[in-house]
Amino acid sequence: MKSASSLIALVASLCAPLAFAEGFKPARTVDLVVHTGPGGGSDVLARAIAIMVEKEKLLPVRLQVINKPGGNGAVAAAHLAEKRGDQNTLGLFTGVWLQTPLVSAEAKVTLRDLTPIARLVLEPAVIAVKADSPYKTLAEFIGAARKNPGQLKQSGGSNTSRDNVVRQLLQKSTGTRWAFISFPGGGERIAALLGGHVDIMVIEPEEAGEHIRAGNMRVLAQVSERRLAKFPEIPTLKEAGFDVPVVPQVRGVVAPPGIPKENVEFWQDFFRRLTRTQSWRKYIEDNQFEDGYQNAADLAKFYEEFTDRMREILKDAGVKTVR
Amino acid sequence: MEILAGLFHGFAVALEPANLFWCFVGVLLGTVVGILPGLGPPATIAMLLPLTFNMNPAGAIIMLAGIYYGAKYGGSTTSILMNVPGESASVVTCLDGYQMAKKGRAGPALGIAAIASFVAGTVGVLGLMLVAPPIAKFALSFSSPEYFALMSLGLALVVLLAGRSIVKALLAALVGLWIASVGTDLFSSTSRFTFGRMELLSGIDFVVVAIGVFALAEVMVNMEAREETQLLPVPKGLKNLLPTMQDLKDCRFAFLNGSVIGFLVGALPGGGSTIASFLSYGLEKAVSPRREQFGTGVIEGVAAPEGANNSETGGALVPLLTLGIPGSGTTAILLAALVLWGFKPGPLFIPEHPALFWGLVASMYIGNVMLLILNLPLVPLFAQVLRMPVYVLYPLILGVSMVGVYSVSGSLFDLLLLLVFGLLGYLMRKLDYPSAPLILGLALGAGMERALRQSLMMSEGKLSILVARPISAVMLSFAVLVLLIPMFGKLNAWRLRALEQD
Repeated sequence: MKSASSLIALVASLCAPLAFAEGFKPARTVDLVVHTGPGGGSDVLARAIAIMVEKEKLLPVRLQVINKPGGNGAVAAAHLAEKRGDQNTLGLFTGVWLQTPLVSAEAKVTLRDLTPIARLVLEPAVIAVKADSPYKTLAEFIGAARKNPGQLKQSGGSNTSRDNVVRQLLQKSTGTRWAFISFPGGGERIAALLGGHVDIMVIEPEEAGEHIRAGNMRVLAQVSERRLAKFPEIPTLKEAGFDVPVVPQVRGVVAPPGIPKENVEFWQDFFRRLTRTQSWRKYIEDNQFEDGYQNAADLAKFYEEFTDRMREILKDAGVKTVR
Repeated sequence: MEILAGLFHGFAVALEPANLFWCFVGVLLGTVVGILPGLGPPATIAMLLPLTFNMNPAGAIIMLAGIYYGAKYGGSTTSILMNVPGESASVVTCLDGYQMAKKGRAGPALGIAAIASFVAGTVGVLGLMLVAPPIAKFALSFSSPEYFALMSLGLALVVLLAGRSIVKALLAALVGLWIASVGTDLFSSTSRFTFGRMELLSGIDFVVVAIGVFALAEVMVNMEAREETQLLPVPKGLKNLLPTMQDLKDCRFAFLNGSVIGFLVGALPGGGSTIASFLSYGLEKAVSPRREQFGTGVIEGVAAPEGANNSETGGALVPLLTLGIPGSGTTAILLAALVLWGFKPGPLFIPEHPALFWGLVASMYIGNVMLLILNLPLVPLFAQVLRMPVYVLYPLILGVSMVGVYSVSGSLFDLLLLLVFGLLGYLMRKLDYPSAPLILGLALGAGMERALRQSLMMSEGKLSILVARPISAVMLSFAVLVLLIPMFGKLNAWRLRALEQD
């Protein structure tokens, strides 16, 4: 009990210079809602955050991961919307929360219906081929696609996934066309490339890293604004001669609608402090993410723009949008 | 020689007292998680992940893997005793396991499940140790056309799962395929059969349907026949509670079949233990001399799938450890765990971390022995569950089913679905439709549709891709053969009748 109260005192003193010190402070365990089951991307990030919060003693209370799988993110978003005014619930969103309402009429809660808190990470990607592939550069691949329209193949996720968005943008800017084959699991996408059943894929840099080191895979370009630290020799899309918008995979935090302003201020600052810790930096570096911190106001602007851009891209891709 | 040296090294790691302890904790937790329907190994491992941070990575991976393969042992318990599948891989076990329990042979069924799990689990580890790199290579040569052929082979088994009427079996399988199509289509992001419910956007959970159609329907049918219901017989004496020599003899082929099928299907990134258990059950039935008794409580019908889902663990670790490719939910979270501990799972993992790999392999031999010793004494204990009067047993089954479904998703909507599928199962029983084909169609439907569409996208719409590739062509021919089996039976019957008339 004593240690708990001294912890609160410690946190309070840390926060003292900031305006919200006399405002909101979570009094009991905070639920962090994710849209995947245990082991999914968001779930792993949420649990890593919970561990960091404990290790760095950032909160007087515990952060607890709640899995609300189903509906491609819609169930978790609806869960948050139902918790209107709840001061002890947060949600960890990804691009899926944004795309699902765009294409599924059943998913009625958009990110606009929730309270923005903070953007946390941007996940870059790389474009990879099998090591024995004839394509040494992205231009060579595009050239081959131009010669054989529709013959080359890319493995990826659903047609609203970032993989397909990158393909759409490249196809549109170069006037070429190749097939996109959807696989539900990341493992199957990589297996399809390594088995020589498809020609190219968009993959997370950390996943590609080991296959490159083992000599099974080669990277042609990176889907990122700047070159990643671990891929200093690989050109970005722009440097490779393809001036298409970089579509990041985004992760961030939202809260239920109708929570007080002090809470938003507390949480956006809490996550800012989290992203400045040693543990967080190491996590970002290990996974080759980009630090993408934005406060609540910037995040709100970000997803307005992102939604509009995504709607355009999906329409171009022939996907039926409903909102 | 290199393998022997590695194994020695591995046992040195696994036999350290701390690692032995973590191995025991893992398999014990796994057994408990397996017995409780709903809460599966992925959820358990995810919850324990924070605790493993201060552990030695060898101890941590040994424990988490223990949960993974330990759960496969426990999964059969509720399938056999209550017709409630504990995990999706134990759904097939219900078919003959529960019938054995009804005949008073719950003990031998539970016992053979543990023994088959031990045999096949050990074979799976042997495979992981001896042939991981070539098997991984073989798995990569598998792509969508091959998966489609594999699933077709699986679906062809429907003719073997049919009861008296093949038409009714096919209708049930079609309903299963239809349920599998509910949700958002992966390729076009279009909603299918969601009736405006967002909960249905990601489809219907296999376990909800299986528990509804098997367990809930069973309770309803029995409640209706009130005066006929009586206690299930449980023989006294330890001897009657364990498999006999004859039982073990009957299961010889099942042990082999489960071990091989489980390992091979497990090694495929798009495989999984549910498909492995169905395939080995089908194969067992296809070659059995007493084919027509399957589904009435034959012991091989328990041994084959229970073996397959354990051998699958060794297989599933092959692509994970040799390529860094996870094939299932549980291996995906093991991968996440390795990354969180600072390892880089991938093609270089085994050469660069031999102590970890060989320690894990050695611990799996030890863990399987622990599980056998842990599970066999539990058999007589669990068999006593059936001594409960029906007015306690059926509400208990109902409760276990509901808790199991709710604990997967924490959603009341899924409980509603459970009720719907319970009613469907009840109607099917009343109208004499077999439920196994429905479950088979559901288990294979989504993967089969995906594989077909992927294949056609690869070939630009040419169906010939399905038969132009050798592995796929061979498996499709087997599927046709299986479909012809009932005809052989009929031909044989005509032949015999003709002989009699002569």
